[in-house]
Amino acid sequence: MVLLEKEQFDVIGKRYDIKNIGKVTGEEIYSCDVNIPRQLFAVVLRSPYSHAEIKKIDYTEAEKMGAICIGPDDVPDTLYNERIVSIPDKTYRDRTVLPKDKVRHVGEAIAACAAETEEEAFAALKKIKVEWGKKWKPLVTLDDTMDPNAPAVYDQVYLGEEKVEVKNNLACDRNITVGNVEEGFKEADIIVDETFNIKRIYHMQLETKSAVCKPEADGGITLWTTTQGIHNVRILLGHIFDIPLSKINVKRITLGGSFGSSIQMNSITPICVALALKARRPVKLVTSREGDMYDHSSYPLKTRLKVGVKKDGTLTAAHCQVWVEIGGHNIQAYPYLGCVAGWFASLYKWKNIKYEGKAFYSNKGPSCARRGYGSPQINFPVENTMDILSEKLGIDPVHFRLQNYVGRGDEFWGQGPTVRSIIRSCGVEEMLVKGAELISWDKRGKPDEKSGVIRKGIGVARGFHTSGTGGPHPGEVIDYSGATVKINEDGSADVITALMDHGCGTWDAGAKVVAEVLKIPFEKISIDNGVDTRTTVFDVNTHATRGVYCGCGAIKFVAEKVKEILLNYAATLFEDRPENLDLALNKELGQGVVYPKGLPENYKTIGEIAEYAHTTSWGTIAYTSTLRQKNCPPCFITYFTEVEVDTRTGEITVPRVVMLGDSGTIINPELWKGQILGAYALGLGVGKLESIPYDKVTGKLKCNGFITDFKVPTTIDMPDIDNIIVEHAHTYEPTGPFGAKGIGEAALSAVASSFGNAVYNAVGIRFHELPITSEIMLKALKEKRNRRKN
Amino acid sequence: MQTDTKILAQEFEYLAPKTLDEALDLLDKYKNKNIRILAGGTDLLVKMKTTDLKVDYLMNIKDISELNFIDIRQGLIIGAVTPLSHIIRKEKVRVKYTALYEGIKAMAAPSIRNMGTIAGNICNASPAADTVPPLIVYRTELKLQSKRGERNVLLEDFITGVGKTIIEPDELITQINIPKINKNTSSVFLKKSRVKADLSKINLAVYLEREGNVCKDCKIVFGSVAIKALRAEKTEGFLKGQIINSELINKAAKQVSSEIKPIDDIRSTAEYRIAMSKEMLKDGLELAWARAKD
Amino acid sequence: MNYKVEKIPIEFSINGQERRVSVKPNDLLINVIRDDLYLTGTKYGCGIGECGACTVFLGKETVLSCLTLAASVDGKEITTIEGLAKGSKLHPMQIAFLKNAAVQCGFCTPGMILTAIALLKENLNPSEEEIKDYMRGNLCRCTGYVQIVKAIKTCAEGGKSESI
Repeated sequence: MVLLEKEQFDVIGKRYDIKNIGKVTGEEIYSCDVNIPRQLFAVVLRSPYSHAEIKKIDYTEAEKMGAICIGPDDVPDTLYNERIVSIPDKTYRDRTVLPKDKVRHVGEAIAACAAETEEEAFAALKKIKVEWGKKWKPLVTLDDTMDPNAPAVYDQVYLGEEKVEVKNNLACDRNITVGNVEEGFKEADIIVDETFNIKRIYHMQLETKSAVCKPEADGGITLWTTTQGIHNVRILLGHIFDIPLSKINVKRITLGGSFGSSIQMNSITPICVALALKARRPVKLVTSREGDMYDHSSYPLKTRLKVGVKKDGTLTAAHCQVWVEIGGHNIQAYPYLGCVAGWFASLYKWKNIKYEGKAFYSNKGPSCARRGYGSPQINFPVENTMDILSEKLGIDPVHFRLQNYVGRGDEFWGQGPTVRSIIRSCGVEEMLVKGAELISWDKRGKPDEKSGVIRKGIGVARGFHTSGTGGPHPGEVIDYSGATVKINEDGSADVITALMDHGCGTWDAGAKVVAEVLKIPFEKISIDNGVDTRTTVFDVNTHATRGVYCGCGAIKFVAEKVKEILLNYAATLFEDRPENLDLALNKELGQGVVYPKGLPENYKTIGEIAEYAHTTSWGTIAYTSTLRQKNCPPCFITYFTEVEVDTRTGEITVPRVVMLGDSGTIINPELWKGQILGAYALGLGVGKLESIPYDKVTGKLKCNGFITDFKVPTTIDMPDIDNIIVEHAHTYEPTGPFGAKGIGEAALSAVASSFGNAVYNAVGIRFHELPITSEIMLKALKEKRNRRKN
Repeated sequence: MQTDTKILAQEFEYLAPKTLDEALDLLDKYKNKNIRILAGGTDLLVKMKTTDLKVDYLMNIKDISELNFIDIRQGLIIGAVTPLSHIIRKEKVRVKYTALYEGIKAMAAPSIRNMGTIAGNICNASPAADTVPPLIVYRTELKLQSKRGERNVLLEDFITGVGKTIIEPDELITQINIPKINKNTSSVFLKKSRVKADLSKINLAVYLEREGNVCKDCKIVFGSVAIKALRAEKTEGFLKGQIINSELINKAAKQVSSEIKPIDDIRSTAEYRIAMSKEMLKDGLELAWARAKD
Repeated sequence: MNYKVEKIPIEFSINGQERRVSVKPNDLLINVIRDDLYLTGTKYGCGIGECGACTVFLGKETVLSCLTLAASVDGKEITTIEGLAKGSKLHPMQIAFLKNAAVQCGFCTPGMILTAIALLKENLNPSEEEIKDYMRGNLCRCTGYVQIVKAIKTCAEGGKSESI
């Protein structure tokens, strides 16, 4: 295997000053910070009922107070899905900007008001009279939704252009078979059949969903909003409001965290637009935190996983059944079921697979992707099952995984069953072996060997994510990115791309890629806000861990075209052929230089070439294009987590952890680490703290949307700095820009799994449901002691 | 009831007296006109934002300098609007009134402690209040003043239920008087919560006075286990006058849970609280006993 | 829209500059800072004092501006994140955050930096445990806190925190 060592790179993998100084000075502008003269402030009226018919909305009293209001009759009838990443034929559509017939969850937006101040808008909002009709009891649990007598959340929806009847609240389902699981189970010596449950989590991204919309004189709009993809927002708004895209300009603006909650156009965005168009004034809408918690949440997942294995540790079959209740709108349940299948199928060599997935409507805030998009949810059942199997087999869990993992040369499913590719780079073995050594895996002991009030345990889990959603042929998911790269008249460069940066270092990577290709110093490359849908070519979204592999892959492609143009111009200057010239970074000059091969002293700087092209009116050295990656190589993660369980109080802490990631070439080591550390904290939240239960009677969030009762990990929940080891595998992805893959979502996939496996190693109790709160742990310990007595 | 936590969505008259006399005058004037007292705001403003609590007159007493002091000459006298963070900076509090020190440190986070006041924590009268159990074990008295005069009330008698106190509409807590602490005494505060910056699932203050091997006096107060902070009087009686050893501590811990009446709520369960009451009492007594030796 | 109550004129110093504004009794400091003075570095994260994103200095101590009435800061001194740098010269804590990759989406960053500076004012050389304990009221969903704690430790080791 060829490995390009990072010493060969000028810029890739090296530390550079971060391009986000505004974030520490307070100058960085987020959507909620945008202020347009004469703007009105908007608030959204949210349904207090879970499932109820809207008969009439009367806002005359609110209007008398001077507010501009919108209700169901003020918004288009367009039925859409706010996430248009999937192709139209595979996209379910069930919503309008505001519901026209009934509400389907507490907190659903039903009307909105804008006024000179937020206080006035809110006072007016309280004067809106809603006449309600029939009310139905809320469907809160999965069992509620699967009850054949349950009230129908929808009678019909659309899939593409086809009308689809919704029966028994089934939103969609997916079934995939590979081989023959019955035969596979016959071959098995041991069969394990367990059910697991991962609950809904709220993303709790720090910036609540916001939008500022300015209506333009020509009937168009300019928009700043919380989004991971400005072009999809533009396309949707043009479609909904029947405005040509050339009149809609969505500005790219810094995003205060997302974790998947703004892949879709947020529900408040078209509401803000409708208000702005009606008021003919700019409108600013910032969601309250309590409104935000009703707006979106992660997909839960109930999994029944049956796996067969031979005595020698070879897997023979896996039957995976999943159920999920998706809330009041179907944002992306169909691809979710497909992705869950993909994450499951590509973790281990099951040999024979049967996957059955069902998604049901419920009366809760709609679920959407959350960092991993089903991977954390299915990783937990799989990695727990692998530990259960290895215990029954008497094989070490690390060895069992080494024996069965899907790796280099194997086929894997990229984000679902329809896209399959062969893995070309894989650090799984290196990470399992190294991690085991670093955590002292051999010394962890068995649960029943442990004693004392404080029990320590170590657990392992591994996961992965695809770098983007590309495949040999375009599939169910749209995935391409583009950029304009231009060399300025002084030799600096601009990278103009709609690619979003959530703070993970995507732009840093983009600038480094251009710097590496064009040999222009990193400091002289701009890649920043100040772009919008008008000035950029399409980028689907920064999601699916595609920022580096796809987004920067496209940037690299464009940069290489720019290099061709540069060398062509230089060739004219040197009166030679471009292939006889070389391009290199001259550190003393702080510039890139072009020189005739063999005569480096006869160089011309890029600045000189660009200036000459300018003064002779040859033109700008620039190129614009898009690129569709034809692969989505998996990036891998492995965690060895050590937990301490206090058996008197049920409290679980994590004193030590070894984190190992495989991203191929790592473009920004510090931010790469930051991704993994950040994901680890999120995963601990999943493991021991977070859930957003709904009340069965009222259909309301038990915490009412206040984070007083939605606790997330704080500084204290992470291990001490010296007890965290982060290592990377030494791999190189040949299809990635300079060998790079992603890491963002892979990093979350296996955290809670490693936590759960560690808990088992500590106390001998396997939890099939998360979070493992102190109350739940203590109760389980008590029940175990009672079982022992009997 | 829809809320909007971005703003404080109700109008009221704002009063900002500079002296205690001014404040008492205003209280007398508006005592029947829905007046509320603002100190730190970390409880009151949250309630005004998230519940249907309506206020017509809001009187900010945080800037009344005569109510902001810490007097360590005798016991500990704390002015009503002294920020919590200032209280824990005093060496005497840390050393002599350790449960109060630990109780305040266990609250929320530094910014909240800069804003919040001890009188506010008391008047908010949440069963989960972290300053209340420590203050009760020290036999704290509150000085209440109004235009009509002043009175001293034992903190233990002051809070009557969830959000309920015996304060009159024209009264203001002006001082928190914590008596002098005897030699050979110690105190401990313990708390269980979901994360460290959180309201308590259950909290506990233990106060012990030690004479050789004998427990001369003890006070045990739990929070978040009833409608108000609860003294475990039976268990106190069980320990008072006894030779303290681990066997006795274990017995005390076993029986204390019969004295508390916790419920299931969003933060925890009755079962867990009962279990924790035993563990915490054991830990609290052991620690307090060891501290009293020093 | 008729106001039932009169606006109150207040004067305060913000980032060293004297300002005069008229505020309603129920106007919150966070909104006056963000919407009237256009200093948008201070952020709304929850409105109920749980996340720390709205942290500002009131005098020499940090407070949560989402739970502070604007009227109550009459005659006082406020420092927001925008008040830290001297021209283009960044505060050591700002530099430490940048150098230690302690910033991802950046939304929690202003609150984090101000709280960290408050910590170093009280405790010049805090241990890791002390740092974590002090910062427990500032929420972050991106970084996992580790690099933030490292940045604060690095800043402390680098010398005295500048006084405001």
